Amino acid sequence: MAHALAARQDLPIPAWLFAWAASIVLIVSFFVLSAAWREPKLEDERPRPLGQRLSAILLGLPVQALCGAVGVFLLGFAVYAGLEGTEAPDRNFALTFLFVTCWLGFPFFSAIFGDIFRPFNPWRAVGRAVGAGFAAIAGQRAAHAAYPERLGRWPAAIGLLAVVWLEVIYGASGGVAVGLDPHAAGVAALVYSVYTLAMMAVFGVEEWCQRGEIFSVYFGMFARLGIFGAREGRLERRRPFSAATTWATVPGSAAVVIASIASTSYDGASEGAFKDGIESVFNRLADTGMDLTQALRLTDTIFMLACFGGVALVYLLGVRGMRTVPGAPSFAKLRTGFAHTLIPIALAYLVAHYFSLFVFQEQAQFGYLLSDPLGTGHTDLFGTAGSGIDFKVLSANAIWYVQVGALIAGHVIGLTLAHDRALVYWPDYRKATASQYWMLAVMVAFTCFGLYLLSVSNG
Amino acid sequence: MNTRTALIGVALVVVAVVLFVVLSGNDSSSDTTINANTPGNEAGSSGNGNGKETETEPKPQVTKIVVGKDGKPVGGVAEITVNQGDEIHFEVESAVAEEVHVHGYDLMKDVPAGGTVSFEFPAEIEGIFEAELEGRGEQILELKVEP
Repeated sequence: MAHALAARQDLPIPAWLFAWAASIVLIVSFFVLSAAWREPKLEDERPRPLGQRLSAILLGLPVQALCGAVGVFLLGFAVYAGLEGTEAPDRNFALTFLFVTCWLGFPFFSAIFGDIFRPFNPWRAVGRAVGAGFAAIAGQRAAHAAYPERLGRWPAAIGLLAVVWLEVIYGASGGVAVGLDPHAAGVAALVYSVYTLAMMAVFGVEEWCQRGEIFSVYFGMFARLGIFGAREGRLERRRPFSAATTWATVPGSAAVVIASIASTSYDGASEGAFKDGIESVFNRLADTGMDLTQALRLTDTIFMLACFGGVALVYLLGVRGMRTVPGAPSFAKLRTGFAHTLIPIALAYLVAHYFSLFVFQEQAQFGYLLSDPLGTGHTDLFGTAGSGIDFKVLSANAIWYVQVGALIAGHVIGLTLAHDRALVYWPDYRKATASQYWMLAVMVAFTCFGLYLLSVSNG
Repeated sequence: MNTRTALIGVALVVVAVVLFVVLSGNDSSSDTTINANTPGNEAGSSGNGNGKETETEPKPQVTKIVVGKDGKPVGGVAEITVNQGDEIHFEVESAVAEEVHVHGYDLMKDVPAGGTVSFEFPAEIEGIFEAELEGRGEQILELKVEP
């Protein structure tokens, strides 16, 4: 990703800041654990409905239809720009819109404003329109196959890895510093649209959005952290982080959040911490006479899957450790029960790795890409085609503090969620705390790993 | 017993932090190694694009980057590290006609085949930037501006 779009890359965080941050992580961990938090407080969302009129307007058909139409238009336009526009990744609307504005923007803003992707989801909008049309003509609602319960969110977890694979592995393997080309992104969006609409036709629109549709599941996961939600046609405010506690009950949810952490780690590490390892595996594969592009893709894929395995292993070790505390529930229950505590870590990783890219690329998005979306050099729709990106808006220090701040905040929230859940499983406060030394180790490991990735020079 | 487990955990992480600081100290000193030039090693440099051969020059000097007939920098991607506010000065001597583009600073200059082009500008923006041959998309320089 960095290669495809970012003209400016972040400097590694300096060792002294790393040491301070790691120390703060430790001190804060013990403070949080020893704080007087002896009863679960987050299991109950305590929803309070927002104004009736506001709900009626925002959740009403006209606004929902409008949002859906906007979503369909923007997706269609991105595909068009990808297929017809310039092949220069940074001058084409498609890449920045799909991989920065949406792929990074929705997680960041969903955590604050709730599930804002849902109304704009172009596939859901099309699916619902088709469903309504069918019902009007046939006089009955379309019948759907029952979704296999055990499949859960696994299609979304695998899809999440596939999206990142396309973005950072398929694209980056050309041997030149260009990255995914807009045409490939446009084709991928088309293929995914066909697949999604087909799945919606089989299993039903809402069912597929909750389980299999990558973007609904992924963005919706971060929306669970925030205080805004919707239930039965009514907007509501709830306790912060409380909605996350019920997120992981669907099978495969742990895999989604682990895939998120793993793919961000991989993207961050592939040019830094893993660089030498990737080079050595690549050279071995190349020595066997394998095509160089294939060898690089295979190497990168191995490392990305290793990241997934590594993150999963750390989590499962923590869960296994909790089993040793007397009165522990089953392994399966613990594995599901603590998956949501990783959501803040996943968000923290995203912010730490992509915050600066987002700030820089959004200047392009709302500047020259808006006026000259195809990058032809002849179009100037809004008079901003000549604008550039001001890389001076963020100093290296500002980026470092945001990165470290995000990791520490994510760690504290994750720890708090885990502590709260432990109190449900072990009503005895002391046993709950004992079980949490394991989650503490997991969280500290993830946070320090995250800091480490940011501190390794990608030179 | 739990306290003891926790203390062991803390000790481990503290050791890890100390180790990291010590090791990263070593890293930065080994960065200054100037590797021997290995011109035209196509098999080695074409696949990974970001080869290990790097070259760090002390800042007052002018870094010279030579681009061979294959359109690749001789000796791999050059590396310049300066502090913000310093002057950046480098020259590109190219065997092929190309356009040199310094990303982030967004400077572009044409170089004819066999010609040399010189860049001199103040390091105003912090971060890591690439300079590349625009037509080929080949990176020739990594520019690091530290605060």
